[in-house]
Amino acid sequence: MRKIFQILTTSFLALLIISPGKVIAQTDSTKKETATYSPLIEFVSIQKNDNSVDLKTSVKAKINGTLTRLADLKIEFTIGRDSTAKKLGEVITDNKGVAAFNCKPDQLTTDKEGKLNFKASFAGKDSIESAEEIVVVKRGRLEIAPVKEDSLLAVKVKLVDLSTGTEMPVDSTTLGVYVKRLFSALKLGEGTTNASGETTIEIPNDLPGDAKGNLTLLARLDENETYGNLEASVVQQWGTPVSDEVKELPRALWSSHPPIWMLVTFVVLMSTVWGHYLVIIIQLFRLRKEEPKTVS
Amino acid sequence: MLLNSFQQQAFDHQRPVIEKFGRKTWMWTIFFLLWIILGGYALYLQIADGHIVTGMRDNVVWGLYIANFIFFIGISYAGAVISGILHILNVEWRKPIIRIAEMITVIATIIGPVFILLCVGRFDRLHHLILYPRLQSPITWDVLAISTYFTGSVIFLYLALIKDFAIYRDAKLKVPKWRQKVYKALAIGYRGTPSQKRHIKISMNLMAIIIIPLAIIVHSVLSWIFGMTLRPGWHSTIFGPYFVLAAIYSGTGVLIMAMWVYRRMYKLYDYIQDKHFIYLGYIMLVLGAGYGYFTFSEYLTDWFGSEKWDSDVIHKLFSFSEYGWWFLFANVAGILLPIFIVAFPKTRKPGWIALASLFMVAALWVKRYLIIVPTLESPLLPIQDTRLEYVKYSPTWVEWALTLAGIATFFLFFTLMSKFVTIIPISEFGDKEKATEKITKPGSEVVPA
Repeated sequence: MRKIFQILTTSFLALLIISPGKVIAQTDSTKKETATYSPLIEFVSIQKNDNSVDLKTSVKAKINGTLTRLADLKIEFTIGRDSTAKKLGEVITDNKGVAAFNCKPDQLTTDKEGKLNFKASFAGKDSIESAEEIVVVKRGRLEIAPVKEDSLLAVKVKLVDLSTGTEMPVDSTTLGVYVKRLFSALKLGEGTTNASGETTIEIPNDLPGDAKGNLTLLARLDENETYGNLEASVVQQWGTPVSDEVKELPRALWSSHPPIWMLVTFVVLMSTVWGHYLVIIIQLFRLRKEEPKTVS
Repeated sequence: MLLNSFQQQAFDHQRPVIEKFGRKTWMWTIFFLLWIILGGYALYLQIADGHIVTGMRDNVVWGLYIANFIFFIGISYAGAVISGILHILNVEWRKPIIRIAEMITVIATIIGPVFILLCVGRFDRLHHLILYPRLQSPITWDVLAISTYFTGSVIFLYLALIKDFAIYRDAKLKVPKWRQKVYKALAIGYRGTPSQKRHIKISMNLMAIIIIPLAIIVHSVLSWIFGMTLRPGWHSTIFGPYFVLAAIYSGTGVLIMAMWVYRRMYKLYDYIQDKHFIYLGYIMLVLGAGYGYFTFSEYLTDWFGSEKWDSDVIHKLFSFSEYGWWFLFANVAGILLPIFIVAFPKTRKPGWIALASLFMVAALWVKRYLIIVPTLESPLLPIQDTRLEYVKYSPTWVEWALTLAGIATFFLFFTLMSKFVTIIPISEFGDKEKATEKITKPGSEVVPA
């Protein structure tokens, strides 16, 4: 009886081991489907004073409750609406999820209302769904010109509308003037355009510039309902020159000479010690010379 | 050379040791050579494949090798400071043990810097250190200081050996001819004339005086490699004296261990007596207390200051999931154990003192490791996108093999030197005694005193 029980148990265990899992496995109804993510595209246009337009997207998605920047996604930029849409180009997002494209003046086409219709779209990839975002702005331009009167420094900024094909000044619009710094632009002041679309903003005369004293001055109209973002820049030698050369540091490992005190200390120490050695070696030579002749 | 009765007795006792190599010595030599061969293979891998075979990476750029370097330079203090100070103070009991001490110095000073070379990634540019030295660099100071110290240590050992070489020369030992020629050359014509004795005495006094500040400078410079960098756990004003004290301390420990081994191995009980262990034990106790004081002061100020980076290192040292056990061992075995063993008369015995020295020396090696690795694992600037293995250091078998090869080389050199010269200096005995007996071996040359 016991032997039969042993045979049965062994056979059952052997069957369990060699039989494929699907024989006894059931369909797992609780199995989750692969999660998909809906990306969010932030899309802005910046109209420059050289008549080009910078298109910039930032792609994010909420993954596990955290808004995460998405890298390596192909973003397609187009201009125009529906049937008249024209592809401008494709850019892959960097590790900050940013894709930027510079649209040249000859690529720009406006609709009947004189507006620029930009679209940034993502076709979808793996678990990330497709997405698109549209920017519609009127064609406009900022112009910046340095003005120097005696010791007073200023910039004259002019805002013009280009949607009709002719330059039309835009009044009563507040815009800012900035100076480019290492990480971001520093705001110097703001002004509101007059009837001729112009405003003058004063510039401090003690700003640190580069090695030659150059300052990059920016005029910006940010997030305007009609024109979106506009920007104009000019480089002017109005800053205090700040040398980018590293001053010689005598103590530094890379300086050409050590400080004098270090050299003197070194020479004194080394000559003292090696001087002792020399005296001892002379003593040993004398010792050798004084070997009695009677012993061979 | 005339020998007095005590010298003759000491020489006769040790003569067989330097005349015969012996089967046991051969076995030891082969054992050490096997370790060295393994180390050679590890070195070959390191040169062929680069430092990727070690555990050292971008963050932890120093590891076992530097710990070994500091350790060996530290124990070299045995001869330099202990022998130098005892010579200047004209302490009589030093005589049987100074040779061991000076041998430790020379051998450790040879092996220590080899570990620095193992850290060099570009061997082909090694000569740049000599061709284009920059005096502003603590590394240059270290190279100059150690080479000067090594030269001094060799001279110090040699000066103490000249008289003995003359004895070996005149004794016509049953050794190969080349060895007799070497003894003759190294004796540089010493016949024991008053003038020659004076030359040796002047030289020995000069060396004893200069070797002490030199040794202190060498280990201070070594500490400044760490102390002059703005790293947590390193940037400390007491690092110079702390390193010096720890070096003398570990040197004393190694000296006691070597004395214990040689006393048993060559039956030198008449020369290396219990009092030598007890006296060195007292020295060890004082040094241990001083070292403990420095350790407490160093970590207390870091801990109390609570500066972020220092606190990170302190946390690593006190956390039992990181280096806590090692830190505990370093302090218990490195400070408390030797003090207690020497403090109580019951344990103030050669065996116990030697055992305490063994633990203390091991603890001080661990201490050197703890100075280097936890600090390097705490970078001042957080590094993004770095790999975990770059931040956390663990030595590879290559580093362990080369470490063991270094230790084996230390023992091998010791074995070979003890077969070339007598462990107990013959000539040091009985300078004040009247020479009554001469070497009676046929053909020995005798010069009237």
